[in-house]
Amino acid sequence: MTTDTYVAGTGVLYRFDPRAKLLLMVLLCIWFFLPVSLAGAWLVVLGVIAAGVLSVGLRRMFRTFLTILPMLAFMILFIPFNVRSGEPLLVAGPVVLATREGLLQTLRLMSRFVGVTFVCALTIQSTPMGKIMLALRWYGLPYKASLVVSLAFRFIPFIADSFSQIKDSHRLRDPNIDEGKGRKGYRSKLGDMLPTLTSALVVSLRAVPSLAMSLEHRGFGLPGKRTSYHVLETSWRLFTDLFISTMIPVALWFLFAVR
Amino acid sequence: MSQKQGSSNKVALRLALVAILTAVTVVFTMIVRIPTTKGYINLGDVAICFTAFTFGPWSAFIAGGLGTALADLISGYAQWAPISFIVHGVEALVIALLVRSRAGRDSAEAVVPLWRKILAGIAGMAIVAGGYFVGGGALISGFSVAAVEIPANLAQSGIGVVLGLAVSQAVRRAYPPVRSLSW
Repeated sequence: MTTDTYVAGTGVLYRFDPRAKLLLMVLLCIWFFLPVSLAGAWLVVLGVIAAGVLSVGLRRMFRTFLTILPMLAFMILFIPFNVRSGEPLLVAGPVVLATREGLLQTLRLMSRFVGVTFVCALTIQSTPMGKIMLALRWYGLPYKASLVVSLAFRFIPFIADSFSQIKDSHRLRDPNIDEGKGRKGYRSKLGDMLPTLTSALVVSLRAVPSLAMSLEHRGFGLPGKRTSYHVLETSWRLFTDLFISTMIPVALWFLFAVR
Repeated sequence: MSQKQGSSNKVALRLALVAILTAVTVVFTMIVRIPTTKGYINLGDVAICFTAFTFGPWSAFIAGGLGTALADLISGYAQWAPISFIVHGVEALVIALLVRSRAGRDSAEAVVPLWRKILAGIAGMAIVAGGYFVGGGALISGFSVAAVEIPANLAQSGIGVVLGLAVSQAVRRAYPPVRSLSW
């Protein structure tokens, strides 16, 4: 199991400072909730998707789209039925199935959902997780919080591997292993998981005292820290990127705000 | 051992515990899946409820909230990460507070009656269903779509409560030192 979401590349987006990128991500997410025109919102969505295709590739963008496809389908199916006022567009006998206002509301919510999804996905895919952590540290994330996240990422593959091995060994103990998989009931499957989950949790918890000892040996909690996080450079480049990150949403607001 | 060294040991141990539990929550959310007729149920809520029933409110709050938020970030559902952090963090915190024993976890008298655990589980389920309805409805997909997700959220959190309770009892028997790790 991999926790690496980074897609290597060399475009403009990759040269952008991670601190400025995080600021741009937050400001763009806020922008989608402001009163902007529907056409403007979809233009920005298409712009973000185009930037993503140029940076991380069409395949990655399509994979991101597939993850939100079920939610988009739910939106198309359910939102129009909740907005019945206005000019009817789809009528079945005496019942109004969809109205113009319902369609516009659906399109607006979809633009917001798709926009926020792709903005966040693009930020994470174009920035290594380590750089994201350092950027959050620069913004003031406490040392202990950063350490918890770093350690969690370090242990996720270990716990995932342990779980897989334990699951396989428990499955080999099953006397009915030659029976078809589809025959087991839902309750039976859940019950079968109990020994596996217990064993996996015990193996994980056994790592806690060793990890605590490692932290103490590195001087954690004592005066005069022996380890500290690397600090991202502060240069004119950072201020330029921060300025661009702020100006983009402001410019989009002036272009597409509903007055 | 000096008092300062003793307190730094506690800090290191607590931090290590929270980091491991966060990783466990991420793994249970992402790779542990039970297929159903309508897709998959993930066992993230099992890890959250296990942490809440076994350890203290603060471990549960941080590990539950942070673990699910990280899982959302890694899986490509970054827009859900802030909502997951708050909803599952509060779920774990409330469950742990409701089952907290006054006698202290190491004490032989630290037995919490079953009705209190069930009540805590029901409160947790309500927080998950209500939290995702309000958060998802207001910020992501609209309330009509968020309402459709309520039964699935209730089912998943219900399974989490049942299995989390069972696993908590099993782990306490299999690994007794776990009783001294709560805070």
